[in-house]
Amino acid sequence: MDEKLHLDLDDFSEEQFMESFLKEIQSEEAVFIIGIFVALALVILTIVFFGNFWGTSKARNAVLLLGLCDSGKTLLFTRLLLGKFVRTQTSITESSATYKTKNDRSSSWTLIDVPGHESLRVQIVEKYKAMARAIVFVVDSSIFQKDVRDVAEFLYSILTDNIVANNAPTLVVACNKQDITMAKSAKLIQQQLEKELNTLRLTRSAALSSQDGAVGGSVYLGKKGKDFEFSQLPNRVEFIECSAHGSKREDGDADIDALEKCLAKI
Amino acid sequence: MLDFFAIFSKGGIVLWCFQGAGVTESFTGPVNALIRSVILQERSGNNSFNHNALSLKYKLDNEFELVFVVGFQKILTLTYVDKFIDDVQLHFRDRYKNELEQRGALKFLLNDFEFGDDFHRLLREAEYGNKAKAPVFMRTFKESEKSKKTVKSMIETKDGDKSKEQGGKKSKNAKKEAESGGDQAKAASQTASKKAVENGNEGLTPEEIILQNRAKFISKQLGGGKPEKPSKSPKPQKPKGKANRVWDMSGRSTGHLDYSGTNGNNSSDAQNQDPDATVEPLIQVDSMKGDLRGVDYESSDDDEEEEEEVQEEEKVVVANTNKKGAKRGGFGGMFGMLKGLVGSKNLTQEDMEPVLDKMRDHLIAKNVAAEIASQLCDSVAKKLEGKVMGTFTTVASTVKQALQDSLVQILQPKRRVDILRDVLEARAQRKPFVITFCGVNGVGKSTNLAKISYWLIENGFTVLIAACDTFRAGAVEQLRTHQRRLNSLHPPEKHGGQPAVQLFEKGYGKDAAGIAMEAIAFARNQGFDVVLIDTAGRMQDNAPLMTALAKLIAVNTPDLVLFVGEALVGNEAVDQLVKFNQALADHSRTDKPRLIDGIVLTKFDTIDDKVGAAISMTYITGQPIVFVGTGQTYSDLRSLNARAVVSALMKA
Repeated sequence: MDEKLHLDLDDFSEEQFMESFLKEIQSEEAVFIIGIFVALALVILTIVFFGNFWGTSKARNAVLLLGLCDSGKTLLFTRLLLGKFVRTQTSITESSATYKTKNDRSSSWTLIDVPGHESLRVQIVEKYKAMARAIVFVVDSSIFQKDVRDVAEFLYSILTDNIVANNAPTLVVACNKQDITMAKSAKLIQQQLEKELNTLRLTRSAALSSQDGAVGGSVYLGKKGKDFEFSQLPNRVEFIECSAHGSKREDGDADIDALEKCLAKI
Repeated sequence: MLDFFAIFSKGGIVLWCFQGAGVTESFTGPVNALIRSVILQERSGNNSFNHNALSLKYKLDNEFELVFVVGFQKILTLTYVDKFIDDVQLHFRDRYKNELEQRGALKFLLNDFEFGDDFHRLLREAEYGNKAKAPVFMRTFKESEKSKKTVKSMIETKDGDKSKEQGGKKSKNAKKEAESGGDQAKAASQTASKKAVENGNEGLTPEEIILQNRAKFISKQLGGGKPEKPSKSPKPQKPKGKANRVWDMSGRSTGHLDYSGTNGNNSSDAQNQDPDATVEPLIQVDSMKGDLRGVDYESSDDDEEEEEEVQEEEKVVVANTNKKGAKRGGFGGMFGMLKGLVGSKNLTQEDMEPVLDKMRDHLIAKNVAAEIASQLCDSVAKKLEGKVMGTFTTVASTVKQALQDSLVQILQPKRRVDILRDVLEARAQRKPFVITFCGVNGVGKSTNLAKISYWLIENGFTVLIAACDTFRAGAVEQLRTHQRRLNSLHPPEKHGGQPAVQLFEKGYGKDAAGIAMEAIAFARNQGFDVVLIDTAGRMQDNAPLMTALAKLIAVNTPDLVLFVGEALVGNEAVDQLVKFNQALADHSRTDKPRLIDGIVLTKFDTIDDKVGAAISMTYITGQPIVFVGTGQTYSDLRSLNARAVVSALMKA
C-alpha cells in the first residue's frame, strides 16, 4: 500500500511536473521559441562578423607587380618564386602565389602579377589595391626614353589613387632589363620620372572632370610650390636595378639580388 | 606544316611550345598581336586571325585558364586545323588533369608539361586523316544508276505534276539516251541528283503518293518554317511552266514560225507607255501645291519577305526554347533550381544562351549597334565556356558580371589620353599641335571645336582655328563669332599681348587641304601652340568628299584626328566609322596610314541612359573617347568615365 501510494505520488508528481512544464511552454510558447532563435541568430552573426574582421585584418599582405606591357613582370614573378626561366606571353589575367622571403624572419606574403595591358590594368588594380603592402613597379630600362610619358602616367594614376595614398605602401621601382647595353641606370630613370611627374601634376589637375561631375584623384603629389621629388612622398620609395633575363637567359640566374633584399625588408 | 603551336596560361606563362622545322622566327610577336587585337578587344567571336604572312587559330580553355594557339602560313589552307586544336585541347586536359586542378599560379611553374610525343602523334593522325580523302571522280553514264533503270520508272509522278511536264521529262530522257558519249557525265550527274528525290516514289500508286506528300507537308509545318519559303517565291516555278517547243515540220513552213503577231501587241504596249512617260514630269512639278506628300517607303514586297523571314526565325527560336523548357520541366523544377545554385558546375553554351539573348536585347535597347551587341555576346560566351562557377552564383549573375567586365575593358583607353601633356611636348619642340575634326553633317564639330579651344586657352595655350569648311553657308562666320567671344572672355592682355584665339580663313569655295597647310605654316611662324582644323560635314557614302578629307589628312599629317559622333546615333555609327577609316586608309600614300585617333562623343546630355553609342564607336575603332560634349555652352566639355557609362548601360 505504501508502495502503491508512493508510486501514485510519484506518478502524480511527474505528471504534474510535465503538465506544468507543458503549460508553461504553451503559455509562453511564442516568446520562448523566439528567444531561442534570436539567441542562435546572434551567435551566428557574431561569428560571421568576427570572421570578416579577421579577414580584413589580414588584408594588407599582398605585393603587386605593376608596369607597362612587356616590361618583364611575368618573368620576374617566375624568377622570384622559383628562380627558373620560362617563356612568357602577354598576360590576360593576374597570377598570384605565396612568396617566402629569404631572410631570418622568413615571412610570407602574396605576390600578385598584374597584367600590364591598358584595358586590364585598371580593373585588376581596383581589385587588389586595398590589399597592397608594397608595390613593385617594373620599368623597361632599355626603351624608357620612348615610354617615359606612359610610365609616368601609370605611376601617377597609382600614386594619386585615394586608397593607395591613404595606405602609403612601399614603392619599389625595379629598373628591369639591365642586361641590355642600352639600359638606363636607376638614377637617370629616377630623375626623368621626377621631371615628368612634375609636369603631370599640372596637366592632370587641369584635366576635364568626367561626365557625371566626379573629379579624378584629388591627391596632390609632393609639395606645392617645389619641384616634385620622390622623397616628398609619404611612401618609402626605392629605385633598384635588376635583370629578370640574367646574363645567360635560360641557363644562368637572374640578377635580382638587390630586388630580393628589398623585398625582404618589407 | 604548322609553323608553331603554343600552349600557355592566361597569366602569360608558356607551358609547352612546338616550332616547325625550318621556322626561325619566334612566335612571341604574332601571339602577342593575337592577344592584343582579338582577345583583349573582345573580338573572340571568330577564332582565326591573320598577322603578316601567318594565320593564327586559337582556342580558350576557361576551366583551367589556358590558351591554345596554332600558327601556319596564310597561303596554305589546312582544313584539319580546327579539329586538331580541339583534339589537342582534350588530350592535354585529360593527361594533365591532376596538375591543372591545383590552385594558384605555381601549378604552371612547378610542373613540367612534356607534351611532345602526344602532340606529334595527334599531328600525324590529323594530317593522315586529311590526306585519306582521295579526289572523287565523276561517274560515267554507264556507271551511273540511271543507265540501270527503265525509262518508265523515271517518269515523274510526284506533287501533282502535269502530264506536259511528264512529257517534257520523257523527251529529255529520250534525248539524253540518244546521245551516248561526250557530255554524258555532266548530264548524268545533274539528272542523278534530281532523280534521287524522285526515285523514292518508284512503284507507288498516285493516292499513296498524295498521302505521303500530305504527311510530309504537315511535318514540315510543325518542324521548321524554312522549307515553306521555296513554295512562296514564284521564281522556281517559272522553268517548269515553260512548255517544250515542238518542231513538227522541222521549221520548213516559215509562216508557222512567224510570231510577229504576238510581238506586235507587245510593241504597241511599249508605245503606249511613252506618252505616259512624257506626261509624268509635268504632273510631278504641279503637285507641290498644297500639302506635302509623305515620305516614300521601300517596295512592299521586300518588307513582306523580310517579315516572313523574321517570323520563320521566331518560329524556329520559339520551337527551340519550348524544347528546352520541356527538358527543364521534366527534370523536376525545384530540384533543378537547387542544383543550379549549389555546387560547382561547368558553364555550357546552352546554359548561357537564354541569358545572353536577354542581354543582347537589353544592349540593343540601350542603343548599342545590333551587330556589335551580338559580337560582344559571342565573345563573352567564348570567354565563359567551360568555366567553373562558384557556389551560390547563378548563370545569370556570372554572365552579367563577365559582360560588365568586358564592357569596361572596351571603354578603357588603349593608349595614354592626355592632350595637355602632348601639347606641352609639341611646344617644347617648337611646332604647333594640330587637331583635325571630321564627321558627318550636323554632329557638332564647330560647337565642340569652340569648347575645346576654350579649355585650351583656359590652360594658357594660344589657339589658331583653321576654317577649312569652305562649303556650308555661314561656317566661317560661325567660327569668327566664336573667336570674338573667346577673345572677350580671355582678353589679349592676359596672354602677353597676343590674342588667345585667332581665325585663319580664306573664304568659301577654296580647297580645304590647301587652307590647312597654310594655316599650319602660319601657326609655326607666329608661334601658336595648337591648330584646330574644322572640316565640312560629309556623308560616309559620298566618295569624292571622302577622298578630299583623306587628302587633307594625308597631306597635313595632323597630330590628332578626331572623329566627332553624336550619342544619338544608333546602328549608323558602325557604318560611319568603318567607311571613314576605310577612306583614310585607301587614299593615304604611306604604308602606315593615319586613321582616326580618337572620338568626340557629342550631345551626351540628350540621351538619358541609352549610352550604347559609346560602346559601338570604341568597339569598331579601338580608339578612346577623348571628349564628351554635354551641352552648348563653353564649359560643357567632359572626359569619359568608363565605370559610370557601363553602370548606366547595365541598369535595368
